[in-house]
Amino acid sequence: MQVTIRDVVRSARLWHIWTRLGLQDVRLKFRRSAIGAAWIFVNLAVLVLSIGFIYANLLGQSPGEFIPYLTIGMILWGYLTSSIVDGGNAFVNSEGYIKQISLPIYVYIFRYFVSISVTTLVTMCAFVIVAVVYRVPVGPGTLLVIPGLLMLMTTSLLLITIFAHLNARFRDVAHMASVGMQVLFYVTPVIFPAHLLRQSRSLSLVIDLNPMYHLLEVVRRPLLTSGPADWQSYVAVALILAVLSAVAAGVIAVFQRRIVFAL
Amino acid sequence: MAHIQLDRVDLEFQVGAERHDTLKSAMRSGFGRRRTEVRTAKALKDLSLTIKSGERVGLIGHNGAGKSTLLKVMAGIYPPQRGTVVTDGHVCPMFEFVTGFEMEATGWENIRTRALLLGMSPKEIDQKIDGIAAFSNLGEFLDIPVRHYSTGMFVRLAFATSTAVDPQILLLDEVMAAGDAAFIESARQRMNELMLRASIVVFASHSLDVLPTFCDRTILLKEGRIVADGPTADVVRRYTGSASPRT
Repeated sequence: MQVTIRDVVRSARLWHIWTRLGLQDVRLKFRRSAIGAAWIFVNLAVLVLSIGFIYANLLGQSPGEFIPYLTIGMILWGYLTSSIVDGGNAFVNSEGYIKQISLPIYVYIFRYFVSISVTTLVTMCAFVIVAVVYRVPVGPGTLLVIPGLLMLMTTSLLLITIFAHLNARFRDVAHMASVGMQVLFYVTPVIFPAHLLRQSRSLSLVIDLNPMYHLLEVVRRPLLTSGPADWQSYVAVALILAVLSAVAAGVIAVFQRRIVFAL
Repeated sequence: MAHIQLDRVDLEFQVGAERHDTLKSAMRSGFGRRRTEVRTAKALKDLSLTIKSGERVGLIGHNGAGKSTLLKVMAGIYPPQRGTVVTDGHVCPMFEFVTGFEMEATGWENIRTRALLLGMSPKEIDQKIDGIAAFSNLGEFLDIPVRHYSTGMFVRLAFATSTAVDPQILLLDEVMAAGDAAFIESARQRMNELMLRASIVVFASHSLDVLPTFCDRTILLKEGRIVADGPTADVVRRYTGSASPRT
């Protein structure tokens, strides 16, 4: 455990390495495309517009409320998905580095955390545009998005840590997680409003017991309503962070010294 | 003072278990429980050695004797299953030149990334980057993505960057040492300078003619154990005496 803490601290202090690698990953992803990082927005815009107008009608929602809701939901969902699926490859894709250069391996966790988080933060600019167009209320309460985002980013870092270790050892994990996230996507209020599910008592449980829902809410609610999420969501997120921290510590304890041999 | 100390180090690779294991087979056997068919390949066996500041140490031995593995243990890349490894000083493993290079990034960007990975600070890079660029002799090509470079240009850039580092402990693998013939005289000289700057050099090599010029001490490895450790001339004589006729 002591070794782990020392390695994490050493890794964190090498921030100029992992920020550079992480930002380079973001830039290189778009370097040879004509419109570059604008693809992030195009991708999102096409999804939101096509799903947005159809589902708004299908579910009887007003586009003015539904489209901002959908936009931020998709962005945050993408953040969690890539933390698990892309972040799961943090060690696997860094094999060349890990076997040739003696940097503590958490450098590569932080590298993926930077690239995934920066991509998400850039994408969130799209929400700002949508919010302006649809006159989403803004007030002091909107600032509650900051603690929400910090919680979500911590979650992302923990998810990357857990799945990077697991996936280095068992390559099936990233595939399984990707399937799991697809299933969760349909039961989590992202492309439909939560209150539609709440009309039925038993389906209400699907929301309340869904960790993804609470993770989305602590960021989504302040942005959409300029007020806090339900207190239950904050409690749930605190619980999720505690559980993920424990799992991450366990996974590290079991696999850390074996990562290089598993690659 | 830089030093390296290995005490009773055992390193084994679990052949089959780590590499080809699937979740399914792990579940079947119960997580964490060793299955009987796991084969372990011992790469280093009960190996102890001390290298002090100022020493230039050669590592020789047949393929598979554990030279590269030993270097990677010294570099902290492979944690040993048993025994302790203590290194004091900035360790710079240089087993190849190119890790960190991105084909889509420009020459300048790659110099910075590679230099950071080798442990240079951003300030140090600012001081050295012009020297690196000059040695690479790539001029305006540094502004374009490395993807457009010829192999020769790429090697020049990678070599110029990697050899600009000021390591306390320099670990070299034979690929670099054996590559001498392919490099022009200036590259050879730059390599020598790099080795002289380091407090400790450990240098795995097959080229027995290069070794004596650099290393006063040489370690002969066989099947993961040290079989001889002493003045280079003696150890090399012992190695060639015992070696199969083709070496």
